[in-house]
Amino acid sequence: MAVIELKGVEKSFGSVKVIRGVDLKVEHGEFVVFVGPSGSGKSTLLRLVAGLEETSGGTILIDGRDVTNLGPAERELAMVFQSYALYPHKTIRGNMSFGLEVAGFPKDEIRQRVDEVARLLQLSDYLERKPRELSGGQRQRVAIGRAIVREPVAFMFDEPLSNLDAGLRVDMRIEITKLHQRLGATMIYVTHDQVEAMTLADRIVVLDKGIIQQTGSPLELYEHPANLFVAQFIGSPKMNVLPAAFKEGRISINGGVGIEAGKMTGTDVANVGIRPDDIEISPDGTGLIHGKVDVVERLGSDTFAYVAVPGAHAVTVRAPRDSAVAIGQDVGLTFRPERLQIFAVDGTSLRLRPGV
Amino acid sequence: MAIVSKTANSASFRNSRRWLTVALALYFIYTFIPIFYVIVSSTKSNADLFGTFGLWFSGDFHFWQNLQDLFTYQDGIFSRWLLNTILYSVVSGVGAALFATFAGYAFSKFEFVGKKLSFALVLGAVMIPQTALVIPIFLLLSKVGLVNTPWAVILPSLVFPPGVFLMKVYADDALSNELIEAGRVDGAGEVHIFFNIAFRLLTPGFATVLILAFVATWNNYFLPLVLLNSSDNFPVTVGLSQWYALATSGSGGAVLFSIVMAGSLVSIVPVIAAFLIMQRYWQGGLGAGGVKA
Repeated sequence: MAVIELKGVEKSFGSVKVIRGVDLKVEHGEFVVFVGPSGSGKSTLLRLVAGLEETSGGTILIDGRDVTNLGPAERELAMVFQSYALYPHKTIRGNMSFGLEVAGFPKDEIRQRVDEVARLLQLSDYLERKPRELSGGQRQRVAIGRAIVREPVAFMFDEPLSNLDAGLRVDMRIEITKLHQRLGATMIYVTHDQVEAMTLADRIVVLDKGIIQQTGSPLELYEHPANLFVAQFIGSPKMNVLPAAFKEGRISINGGVGIEAGKMTGTDVANVGIRPDDIEISPDGTGLIHGKVDVVERLGSDTFAYVAVPGAHAVTVRAPRDSAVAIGQDVGLTFRPERLQIFAVDGTSLRLRPGV
Repeated sequence: MAIVSKTANSASFRNSRRWLTVALALYFIYTFIPIFYVIVSSTKSNADLFGTFGLWFSGDFHFWQNLQDLFTYQDGIFSRWLLNTILYSVVSGVGAALFATFAGYAFSKFEFVGKKLSFALVLGAVMIPQTALVIPIFLLLSKVGLVNTPWAVILPSLVFPPGVFLMKVYADDALSNELIEAGRVDGAGEVHIFFNIAFRLLTPGFATVLILAFVATWNNYFLPLVLLNSSDNFPVTVGLSQWYALATSGSGGAVLFSIVMAGSLVSIVPVIAAFLIMQRYWQGGLGAGGVKA
C-alpha cells in the first residue's frame, strides 16, 4: 500500500503541453480512476506516475519518497497494459515469474508465489501454456497476475478492459473490484468509459485538456458537477443542457417560463443542465418546456425518449419501461427545480440552487 | 445495383489467370536458364562443352571427373577458397545481422539526439554501391595493415545499411512498445529486455537480414579482388574468375573450363542450402497472442 502524491506535475511533448500542472493525492488503499475523453492526458498522467514518461515539471512522491527521477522498477509499482503486453515466447508461468527472476528471488519462492497468485486468479490450469493459447479475458488475468506476484506498493491499470467484449468487460470489472477489496492495495485506473469509472472508483479524477476538471466520489460528480464538461461527461445518457438566462430574479429556460432563482443574483447564467432521469413527460400544454418526441428507445428496463425542443438540442428523457410515449407525440416536460444544475457563461457550476 | 466481383469460375478470371501463368512461366525460364546451363555444363568434358548443344546433356557423363579435378587442381586450392568464402560469409552475415538488429531496435524504440539525421544517413548509404567505396576502403585498410587479411573482407561487410532499415521497419511492426515497457516495469534493464524479450520477437527479421548479408558476402567479387592478393585468401568468386581468365588466355589451361563450371555449381549449393535451412525462421507470427493488436 502506498500514498501517491503529485505536486504541480507537468508534461510537454515538444511544444505541446499535455499535462498542465496536476496536484493530486491518492491515499492508502484508495481506488482512483482517471477518466476523460481521448487526448485528455489521462494515460500520460498514469505513465508519469509509473515512470514510463519523464516529467517536464513538478514532483511525484510515493510514501513521501521523491521518485520523480527514478525508473519504473525503482518505484515498485506494477502496471497492467491495455494490450496485456504478455511476453509471447514465454509460458504463463514464465510471464508471471519474469519480474521476480529479474529481482533475483530464489526459485522455490518464485514457484510458490506464482502458484498462489494463479490459484487466486483461476489460472492454475494454464501455467504451462503460451499467451496465444488463452482467451482475451484469461490473458488479461495473466497480466493482472504478473502485477500481483511482485507485491507492488500500488497498481496502475491503463484501460485494461478496452480490448474485451462487452460481456467479459463487466465480468472483469467485478473481478477487479473484488481484487481491490481483497488486496486493499492502492490502485490507479485509467479509462475513457465513464460507466467503468463510476462502478470501480472510490474517487474519480476527471481530466480534460491536461487539467483536472474535478475530483470526487462517483456520486459527488454525478450530483454536483463542477462544470459543464464534467456534467456532460459523467452519467449515461448525457445530462441535457438547455440555454437559460437570468431575468428579474428568475431563471428563464430556453426563452420560456422562468423558475425562482432564490438567493441567486448572478447575471451570467448561460445554461441549465438536467439529468434524463430527473425529467418527467407530461401531457402537451403542461410542463416547463415543450417538444415533439423524435425517437423512442425501449431497452426493457428503461425507455428513453428523445424530444426535439425548439431552440435547444434534443432532450433525453428516461421514462418508465411501460411508458406509452410514442414518436411524433407533442409533450410537455417537467422537472423539479432543485434538480437543475445551473452553469455560468464560462461553464462553471453556480452552486446556488433556486429556493435554497 | 449489387456490385459483383469476378469469381474463380467466371471466364474473365480464368482468362487473366491463364495469362498470368504464362507470364510467370516465361520469367521462370528466363531466370532458370543460366542455372540450368551451369548444371548441364558441369557434367560435360571440356571437349563436349564446346562440341555439343549447350542446354542439354551430352552422352558422356563427366561430372564426377570434373569434381575430382576441381578439388585436386593446384593442390586442391579450391577447398581453401570454399572455406574462405564460408568463413567470410558466416562471420560477416552474423555480424552484420547483429549490428543491424541493434541499430534497427535503437532507431525504432529509442529517442536520441540526431536520430533523424543518422537514419537519413543510413537510408542514403543504402543507395551507395559498395563498389564505389572499394578504393577508399582499400586506402583505409592499407593504412592499418589489414589489406590481404580476412579482415579486409569481413570488416567492410559488417556494414549493411539495408539490414538496418529492414530491422527498423520490422521492430516498428513486430515489437510493441508496451512489451518493452512491461519489461521495464518488471525491473529488467535495457540489455536484459533486448536479449530476453525483444530479440526473440525480432528473430524472423534477424534471419532475413542474416541471409541477405550472407549472400551479399558470398557473392561479393570486387571487394576481395581489390583487397586480397594472395591466392590463399581468395574466396571462390575471385578464385574461379582467375581460373577462368587462365582458361581464356589459352596458356595451357583450356582444360579449366569444365572445372570452372563444376566450381560454379559447387559454389551455389551452400547458398541454396542456407536459404532452405533459414526458411523456417522467417515465419513470423511469433508475437501473436502477446499483445492485442
